[in-house]
Order: sequence, then C-alpha cells, then structure tokens
Amino acid sequence: MAVSLSARNITKRYGAVVALDEANLEIRAGEVLALIGANGSGKSTFTRVMNGVVAPDSGQLLLDGRPMRFASPRAATNAGISTVFQELSLVPQMTVAENIWLTREPLRRGLIDRTTEQRRTADLLALFAGTFRSDLAPDVPVQALLPDEKQIVEILKAVSINPRLLILDEATASLDSRQVQRLFELVAHWKEQGKAIVFVSHRMAEIVQIADRYSVLRNGRTVGEGAMADATASDLVALMVEEAAVASVAQRARPSAEQLATRRVSLQVDDLRTAELNGVSLQVHEGELLGIGGLKGQGQRDLLLALFGSLPYSGRVTLDGQAVHCSHPREAMARGLALVPGERGREGLLAIRSILENLQIPSWRDYGFPLQMERARRTAGAVASRLNLIMAGLDQPVSGLSGGNAQKVVIGKWLLRNPRFLLLDDPTRGIDVGAKAEFYRLLAQLCDEGTTIVFYSSDDDELIGLCDRVLVMHDGKISSELAGATLTATNLIAASLGATRQEATP
Amino acid sequence: MRRLTISPPLAAVLLAIVLFLLSGLLPNGFGNNPDIALAQAINIVRLSVFLGVIAAGQTLVIISGGEGIDLSAGAVVTLTAILTYTIVNGQDAQVLPALLAALVIGGAIGLVNGVGVAFLKVAPLVMTLGMAGVVSGLILVLTQGNVSGAIAPIMTRLIARPVVLGIPGAILIWAAFGALMWLLLERTRFGKHLFAIGTNRTTARLSGVNVTGMVLGVYALSGMLAGLGGFLVVGNTGVVHIRIGDPFLFPSIAAVAVGGTLLSGGKGSYAGAMAGALVLTLITSLLTTMQQPESIRRMVLGVTLLLMISIYGRQRGFRQ
Repeated sequence: MAVSLSARNITKRYGAVVALDEANLEIRAGEVLALIGANGSGKSTFTRVMNGVVAPDSGQLLLDGRPMRFASPRAATNAGISTVFQELSLVPQMTVAENIWLTREPLRRGLIDRTTEQRRTADLLALFAGTFRSDLAPDVPVQALLPDEKQIVEILKAVSINPRLLILDEATASLDSRQVQRLFELVAHWKEQGKAIVFVSHRMAEIVQIADRYSVLRNGRTVGEGAMADATASDLVALMVEEAAVASVAQRARPSAEQLATRRVSLQVDDLRTAELNGVSLQVHEGELLGIGGLKGQGQRDLLLALFGSLPYSGRVTLDGQAVHCSHPREAMARGLALVPGERGREGLLAIRSILENLQIPSWRDYGFPLQMERARRTAGAVASRLNLIMAGLDQPVSGLSGGNAQKVVIGKWLLRNPRFLLLDDPTRGIDVGAKAEFYRLLAQLCDEGTTIVFYSSDDDELIGLCDRVLVMHDGKISSELAGATLTATNLIAASLGATRQEATP
Repeated sequence: MRRLTISPPLAAVLLAIVLFLLSGLLPNGFGNNPDIALAQAINIVRLSVFLGVIAAGQTLVIISGGEGIDLSAGAVVTLTAILTYTIVNGQDAQVLPALLAALVIGGAIGLVNGVGVAFLKVAPLVMTLGMAGVVSGLILVLTQGNVSGAIAPIMTRLIARPVVLGIPGAILIWAAFGALMWLLLERTRFGKHLFAIGTNRTTARLSGVNVTGMVLGVYALSGMLAGLGGFLVVGNTGVVHIRIGDPFLFPSIAAVAVGGTLLSGGKGSYAGAMAGALVLTLITSLLTTMQQPESIRRMVLGVTLLLMISIYGRQRGFRQ
C-alpha cells in the first residue's frame, strides 16, 4: 500500500534549547528523502519524532493524510514505520535471530518456534549475502559480530517488520563500500515495492547517489527542500551553513600565519594509528591553538587519548623534538601533557569527593609526607578563584556543582600543574554561555603564555572563532586543513561531510 | 527543614555507649556497679581490638571500589595465628620473627589476590573466596589437624594484660594503629589515590593514578593487616585452633559497613570501622552475658547492621 508521511510545523524544546523549530518534511511512497544538516541541527530529534520515540511539543504528523499521534515507538512500528538506529539497539548476549525477532517471535502452541525463527533470519541474512563473514549464522550471539555485521543485523531487524516507511539514521556509518552498495541496491528494490525511505547521512557522496529529494535542517528549522537532481553538493552545504552566526562570543586575537611559522614545532605526530585512527600526522607550534573538527566519532577522541597515553597506538609522537611513547597517562603528565576528557562525569570527575580532592588528584605527589594540606588548600583555592569557580567551599562534593563549574574543576586540576600541552575533548559541551566566554578568555591567555593546545570541538563556531588552524577529521584521517581565509563555516562543513574542498569565500 | 546529620562513626560510638548504659537496667547486664562497669567497658574495648585490626584491611579494599572485598581475611588470620604460635614456641626472642613472618605471609597472600583482581580480572568476591578455600586447605595439610607450640610471655603481657593505668596493651596498640590508619587514608598520596580509584577508576587513571598498582597494593596491605590480626588474636587467646579466624570474617565486613563506609567504594574511614567493631563486639558480649544462644546473637547483629545501613542510606550526602 502506498504511504505518505508529512510532518508539519514540528517544534521540540529541551529546556531552553530549541531542537526543532517549526520543522517540515514531506515524503511519499517510492521515494528516498535525504534529511541533512550540520551537527546539532535537529536531524536526530526529527527522526525520533517520526518514529514515536520523542513526542513533539507542537505540530502535526500526517500519515496517509490522517493526523497521527504516536504514544510510543511501538505505535509507530504498528503503523509501519521502522528505524535503523545510529546507536545500536541490539542485546549483545542474544543471538542474531533472537535480536531480530525480539518481542515478535514466531510462536507454535505458545512456545517460540525456533525452526521458523532461524529460517526467517536466514532469509533476511541472504539479502546481504557475500558482504559479511561466511560463518555469520542466525544462532551466533551478537557480541561475537564485527561492528559492520552488527549494523547489518540492525538493518535487518528494522526490515523484518516489512515497514512502509523506513528511516535509515546514519545506517551506513560503519559499513564498508561493498555493504553500502548492497544496501543501496536493496533501497532501490524497496522503492519499487512502494516503500518510503528517509535517509540520514553525513556522507555527501552517498546522499547524491541515493536520494530523490532532500530536506535541509538548520538550527531546527527546515531551510530548503527540493529534488536532488536540481541541487549540487555545494548548494546543500550552503543551505546548511549560516555564515552570519559566526559573530559569537568565540573570538580571540590570533597571531598571523607568518608569526606562527617562526615558532618552533612543539608537538609533532607522524602516522598515528589506533583502532579508529588510520594514520594521522600533524604539527603544532608552541603557543598555537590547533582546532580539530569534523563530525562526531571520526577518531578525534582516539587522537587525544592516544596522545595522552591512555590508548595503545602505533606511530611517532615527538614533543619538543624528543620522540616519546607514553603508555600511561602519568607518563604523559610527567612530560607536561594534560587532557580534559570528553565525558566530564564519567572521565573527568570524582563525583562524591570534594572539590579540593578533585583539583589535587594529579598533584598529590608534590605535597610530601604527610601531605601538606594547608598548602594544597591554598593552591587549590588560588586556581579556583582564577577560574572564578562558584562554590560553597573546597570541601563541598563536586557532584553539587553546575556543568560549567564542574568543568572548571576538571580544567583547574590541570592548570595546577602548569601543563605545556593541553588536550581538550569537546570541553564546552553542556556548559552555559557565561562559563563558555570565561573559558575562551582562558584559552587565549594560556596560548599567550606559550601553552600548546589541541582543541576538539563539536561546535563549529568555536573552531572558527578561536583556532589558529583547524584540521578536519573524517574516517580516522585528517581530510583537510583550514586556516586564515579558508577557515569558514562553509568549508568546515563541506570538509566534515567529505565533500570536495571549496575555495576561500571573498 | 534542616536535616539531622551525624557522621556514621559518631553514630556508631553513640549507639555503643547507649547500649552499654541501657544494659545496666537488665539483669545480668553491664554497668550495675560503676567499678565493675568500667572494667567491663575496658574489656569490651580490648575485645574489639582484634576485630578492629582485621576490619582495617577490609576497610581499605572496600574503599578501593570495583566491588572490592576480602573474603580471605578469616583464613589468613587462622594461618598467621598458627604460624605465630609455632614460630614463637614460648620464646620471647622469637616474637619479632613471628610478627614479621605473619606480615610477609599475609601480604603475599593478599598480593596474589591483587594479581587475580588486577590482571586476571577475577571479581574480588570470587578471587578472595577462592583464596580462602586454598588457604584453609593449606592449613589442614600443614597442621594435619593439630598444632604444637606456645605463645611467649611477653605477648600475653603486652596484648592481654594492663600496661599503663589499667589499660591493656591491645587498646594502646589499637589507638596507635588507628592514628596510623588515619594518616594513611587522609594524609598520604596512597590514601588520596585510594579514594580516587574507589570513586571512579577512569577518572583516576586519566588523572595519572596508577590504578593497577593501587589495586595490587591495597590487596597486599589487606592481607598484611589480616596477618597482624592473626598475630594479635593468638597473643590474646594464648591457644590456637584451625578455625580461629573464621568468626572474624563477616563481622569485619559488617564493622566497616556499620562505620558508614560505602560498600560501593570511594567513601569511608577507619574511625568508622573502629566504631563498628566496638558496636558489634559490645552486642555480642552483651548477648553472651545475658546467656542468649548463638541464634539470637546472630539475628540481633544482622538486624543492627541492616538498621544502621538503612539509616545512613537515607542521609543526604551518603547517597552516591
């Protein structure tokens, strides 16, 4: 049966953040719609509204012309809407067959009919036959699978309900090119059967190849839609970007490229490889603020963790001309490195311990035996006031602090050690505007003092406004380098998506 | 509304004092006659020492988090008590070598626990339970069921008898020991790192803490402290048998919990474990004096443990 879904004026707020602002979308049977937008433009929220995971604050969903309100994801599934999730929704301990048919197990006399379940699973697996290891059978537990095989199982699970509308949310991110091509053949087949497909991807080449129409989101608003045949990749990038928005608080007086070139290289990386990194090489000058950009999960985290000795790697790391290979964070610390990790609560803080202890964990060894507590309190107090940390006292547990203040504690513990190299993994995520502005000033000050900073941010405005240079990462590699006139929002997004490099805008 | 907050060690000590005084109202209770009451109080504190010292190692592994616990403590106490008994063999000159042997053997067993937990990734509960079995078996093999030896007069004098002002040596040793434990936990890098790994091992590692080294160290230390416990226990009783350490195992965990140390790690104190050891010893002695059977004693201890922990759980600041 033919299907159509239209989403009209969908608005969704999370506290003060507007994720979707009167967003619109229209999709009909037998077509592939690409839903595109930069990081944080509202794509994920939009797909979650369509599949019933998120209830919109206002707006209307029309399914086959009739207003629908999904009370649960289950209701959307029953209406024939199925989603391949970006974050895998499989139970690791269960088998491929059990995962695919979870809650919809074929029954015989009230018991699960294993034979039918296995047969149906084998039929589904046949869709991707030849693109995965031959021993991938219905009764293999999911935890034994490779990431791409898990993604295929995830796709098959969504397909197993024989949906009328299929949402592919970053479903190709972990697939190899052969698997992607097979998926696209299947998509073409499903189109002919009259299914509608929403395709969310960060890979511009795939969007151009598979989509019939596009819909572009920017800051939660639908800013353009049309037929794919009428648009080029650069048209789409232009729609995704709002150049004017760059005039934000993220500003810093930067040295010229010539000035930077005269300084010595303090950090050099050659052919760094980990599970996620496929050979990264870079150079950073003393006192330089080097930005790392790109979409989430392109290896930025691995790069910073490897440099900090927290992840095994191969390749060469040179600090101030001296080759080093740190295999534990404390070795990296001893060489003047510091890392503000990406997940503040899980990696940066000791929640139930005091602010004092959180600030001093890396530094206790400097306070002798027995620990000179008075001096520890004095230095911690000094760094707290330098960072303008708002607290009841140093003995307060750090769990009572706001996001911005908690992040100041994480930064403060490294400032106490006067690091020469500061590695930052998306440090402003989830902190308020005031704390961000203070943080930007601090970065500028540290650079002036000669600290070398490597700064990954998921916020493009920060990279553009603060960094001397930005390296964009894609698939575990550095895909382009932007600096000076080429450091623009358009180029940053184009490079993130793997689209061809654009020239500097005049 | 302002909540009533009271630190767990203080709560436990207050409970002990209240119980002690209340028992004066009971027939066969303590405290009917002030002079006798004082002697009884001192005796109860003296009896708490052995549980208290064994609970010290337990405190450290529990604070270290990662489901840390040392179920081999009872077996190690037995082994080192027997070892002390045979090495000393009635001679004062052999006391120091015996103490050293107790500490080294206890530490070595603890280190093996640490290796299992840190490198083989065996859950502490399983690792130390297995170790308890191995050590118990070893004791049977080595002793064939009978132990010959004797403790030295100097041990009885220092541990079991009054040394100054009618205070037994064991209590003085415990006081000094408590001060050292406070110093270790609150005024050394080891202590700070211990609380850090107990709270969040990822954060600790990313802040330069050698988590593996700490785990090895803390289990070795726990074994050593159980060894010290074995030495003191046999010094007090003067005789030894092959189950002498067993009754200390579960009370040593209970004492830590009653003292307000979070069983999930990262928060706690040795003062709490000391107070917990006092409460548990007091209740046991009280019920024994009142000629209550073992079954009643166990039930009362169990209920006390549950009550104390549920009260701490409700206090703000003790929830994670």
